[in-house]
Amino acid sequence: MIRRLVTRDSVALTGSVIGLVSLLFGWLTLKPNRVAEGTSFGLWESAGWPVMLAMTGLWVTCLVLSLVAGKVVRKVSLGVIANLIVAVTFITVGWTSGRLLETQDAIARVSLGVGFWLTLGGAYVVVFSARQGLQERRLWRHLVSLTGVIVFIVLLTVGWFDQLSVLQEFSGRQERFLQELQKHVLLFGGSVSVGTVFGILLGIWATRSRRAERPIFFLANITQTIPSLALFGLLIAPLSALSFAVPWLRDIGIRGVGVTPAVIALVIYSLLPIVRNTYVGLRQVDVAAIDAGLGMGMTRAQVFRKIEVPLAAPLVLEGIRTASVQSVGLTTVAALIGAGGLGWFIFRGVGQQAPDLILVGAIPIIFLALLVDILMRGAVRWATPRGLREGEG
Amino acid sequence: MIRLEQVIKLYGETTAVDGLSLEVTRGEVCVLIGPSGCGKTTTLRMVNRLIEPTSGSIFIDGEDTSRIRSEKLRQSIGYAIQSVGLFPHMTVAANIAVVPELLHWEKQSIATRTEELLGLVGLPYAEYVGKFPHQLSGGEAQRIGVARALAADPPMLLMDEPFGAVDPLTRERLQAQFVRIQQDLRKTVILVTHDLDEAIRLADRIAIMEAGRLVQHDTPETILSRPANKFVHDFVGTDRALKRLSRIGITDFVKPAVFVHVDGSVEAAILACSECSWVWVVDDANRLVGWVDRNSLSGASSVRDSVVRGDTEEIALANTATLREALSRMLGQGLRSIPVIDEGWRLAGQVELGDIETATSEARD
Repeated sequence: MIRRLVTRDSVALTGSVIGLVSLLFGWLTLKPNRVAEGTSFGLWESAGWPVMLAMTGLWVTCLVLSLVAGKVVRKVSLGVIANLIVAVTFITVGWTSGRLLETQDAIARVSLGVGFWLTLGGAYVVVFSARQGLQERRLWRHLVSLTGVIVFIVLLTVGWFDQLSVLQEFSGRQERFLQELQKHVLLFGGSVSVGTVFGILLGIWATRSRRAERPIFFLANITQTIPSLALFGLLIAPLSALSFAVPWLRDIGIRGVGVTPAVIALVIYSLLPIVRNTYVGLRQVDVAAIDAGLGMGMTRAQVFRKIEVPLAAPLVLEGIRTASVQSVGLTTVAALIGAGGLGWFIFRGVGQQAPDLILVGAIPIIFLALLVDILMRGAVRWATPRGLREGEG
Repeated sequence: MIRLEQVIKLYGETTAVDGLSLEVTRGEVCVLIGPSGCGKTTTLRMVNRLIEPTSGSIFIDGEDTSRIRSEKLRQSIGYAIQSVGLFPHMTVAANIAVVPELLHWEKQSIATRTEELLGLVGLPYAEYVGKFPHQLSGGEAQRIGVARALAADPPMLLMDEPFGAVDPLTRERLQAQFVRIQQDLRKTVILVTHDLDEAIRLADRIAIMEAGRLVQHDTPETILSRPANKFVHDFVGTDRALKRLSRIGITDFVKPAVFVHVDGSVEAAILACSECSWVWVVDDANRLVGWVDRNSLSGASSVRDSVVRGDTEEIALANTATLREALSRMLGQGLRSIPVIDEGWRLAGQVELGDIETATSEARD
């Protein structure tokens, strides 16, 4: 009897437990100045007991929902409550940060505490679980995934978070931020574009030549195992030697540090997923289809263009997606060798022991990665021929 | 007309085809057959130059194929293979349109031709034209494959085990359909198979190959009655007489059958049984229901309740079947006569064991 009522939604359960625990930690930290130690405030202290009780209620509902039986309705409810929690959390931190600062000096700062991050983490674990159950309800799936993000963006643009230290770090450096954001996008976008061209060519070559196949994959695999920082470092010495030996190279901007080694390293990293997926994509094309095409009088080029390319395209794009998302992250490290990008804020923040400056770099990187992922997934779907799509017809 | 002259194909040290000469006349179905590795598929693929011969020449209507651009040559020869090789990202219509499009046909004539071809292979146009290959059964895919090979109305067809990848029942239907289509179209066909029964049924002449050489090239009747050597003798097997039956369709042997209606009176049924003690039973739509005999009718209240065998799919034969299938069905079911039905399961007549015996003795030398 009990067995039938109890499900094992362990993911949602984990999220709910994280959420409940998060309420015990400090949500905001009040610091007399930018880098000083601060005092931690729990939700009950900063926002008061009614908010604390409401949040506890929401999390307990989540906990119960992750234990009872039910499919779609349960998942939708979980998703709705998780998004409600996210919205309440954002509204609360904006509102309470202003309240905490009312009685303080102008240089006092309010940072986000462990409790806040745990709450967000827990809520998105629940969102993830809810999404899994809503494969067939696309509208609900999108609503559950995006509502929290939309609430965040709206609150951000109306200045709701302006009292938080992160935003204060940001507001002083808006110009720099746009500059580094642009650099970041150019670095990863440019590298992935170059990597795509080379990756596809190498992938095609690997399918066409037995002799090339092994060395191509050997190299692509081995570069993937080199840590990014090491690869950036490894490139500095030969490139500076080269730029000293050939002065005109230096004139066009090729140096041991800066953009050149960063782009080279990022291109190398983006190769493997693209080479591998191009190779697999072309290899999985039915040999009978190719034989039939040739046998009916298509030229080799027509077979490639009309049969192999459309059938391999979704997998190739999937490889470009992997490479892009990976590159958004790796570009961060490029700031260390002077190439710039959003990593600049992270390393500057680490250097100044100003955690909120780190967030100025880290949060946009996460959003950038998510955005690239969503766009590329759309591209993969668009490129999948109708005859190959699952669940149609 | 296709003519191969002293064609040799070497792969390194191995000889795949060893000095093969063969002539296929216009409108003829030539079946290449032999044990696996005998070079039959290699031979087929050399005709449209998917494989280039090491030496020797192949002529089509007197023209040396090595002088024709290979793409142009292949566009003029229909090509159908066992694994079909339909393009999975294209609809049935787009698959059929491949060669016409390569030949720059106009859209309207391609559409008309597609409709015509789907009709020819017996698939309703409206239902199939927009389907994708993964929505087709094995037999449907094979038919589309044949339709695609016929799309530009080539005078020649190369077929590599075109009915190989389907279940026996579907294969039998596809073969019957091929025979019917070929009667109308009279294409010059080279067909590769390893199934002797298929060869005997479809071929005008059979070319038996062994280790890259042509062992015997003759009509199925001659090959069955006068095998050229021990290899052919063993290859065609000891059931040659039986195999010859599969050259003969049952249509000429179908006799009118006596039947009664399933809702008719018992008295009428008993009367109908007076001649041979049993009689077929059909329903309103003339579909076969089974049979009744005197024993089952005696004391019965209705014809329906006294039907002896209701498993009509076990006992009935399609009108496209061969005498060999009729015989095998009779022996399997222990019946001296077998009902023949048309596509709508309607009773078309019956075939009797005595007539098959006569046919066998006539075919014997």
